[in-house]
Amino acid sequence: MTQVENSDNKAAFMGRVTASVTHEIQNVLAIIKETSGLMEDFFLLQKSGDPQNIEEKLDTCIKTIKKQTYRGVNLTSGLNVFAHTADSSHVSINIFETITKMIFITKRLFIQKGVDVSIVECSKPYSLNTDPVLFQMAVFSCIECLIDNFVTKASITLSIQSIDNRTAIQFLYNDDTLTYEDYSQKIVPGDQWTKITLLCEQIGLTAEVAADSPAILIFFK
Amino acid sequence: MDNINILLIDDEIEFIETLAERFELRGYTSKIAGDGESGISMIAKESFDIVILDLMMPGLSGLDTLRQIKDIDKTLPVIMLTGHGSTKDGMKGMRMGAFDFLMKPLDINELLEKIKLALSESSKG
Repeated sequence: MTQVENSDNKAAFMGRVTASVTHEIQNVLAIIKETSGLMEDFFLLQKSGDPQNIEEKLDTCIKTIKKQTYRGVNLTSGLNVFAHTADSSHVSINIFETITKMIFITKRLFIQKGVDVSIVECSKPYSLNTDPVLFQMAVFSCIECLIDNFVTKASITLSIQSIDNRTAIQFLYNDDTLTYEDYSQKIVPGDQWTKITLLCEQIGLTAEVAADSPAILIFFK
Repeated sequence: MDNINILLIDDEIEFIETLAERFELRGYTSKIAGDGESGISMIAKESFDIVILDLMMPGLSGLDTLRQIKDIDKTLPVIMLTGHGSTKDGMKGMRMGAFDFLMKPLDINELLEKIKLALSESSKG
């Protein structure tokens, strides 16, 4: 992949994630705006002599605004961290932390497709010297490849584990009805798989389809 | 504008609950659905005067929901809501039969104006 193609792909990925997060922020702001509008409605009603349990209702409104404000702050903080991953193309990253933060801000994109994505807590602080944007693109592409290739609406669990003396990120599609033939034939021939293997090669990782479960493995050591 | 029955479909439940309460304070009846599938099944069972529909929802998308609503009742006015900065999907919705679209966050007075306009257009046939 040329440097120009790399930059274009990175920009497209960053743009896609940013669009999804800002869309969610619009929803947060819409809830805050309607809730403050509702509070205004209650005040007007109270002024006109119709109190209608106003204290209890205002309390509910305040709780909603607080909850949505926290949601908004988490989203903007997550987006800020994500944007800064483009600051350098070669740094040491904590693999678990990087994936966890990426999943948090891309969750909505996957939920739109009916799939919940989560990562299993990892006690060892695995690190990697890499291009953080390309690394996140590889992780994102693995998740998307599983979602796009299987019709059933299952969930995807990521975990970092040791396999045959090597360390890998496992992307497990939680559907035990799929046989190796089912899932390998769906994943491997596609363009998405070619993209994943190319991305992994660029950052010194290797991608494989697991032999015993509907999963993609990215080996990093 | 008496006895207007509005159906609100959006996966952001707190948003439509609040909007429903604001409608109620203004004398409108409204019901809520948290996804396209539930909204469609409510439309199949009950009569609504207008639907307020979010474009981006998990499962059945806003545009797919619109298509199914129009299959059930071509004359039922639908106003679409979008959190996107662009108007592309809203315009697509209008080409598919939506009356109009609005961007989130909303201005409730603007939404009420659109509802009035949609109902007066649909009463003209």
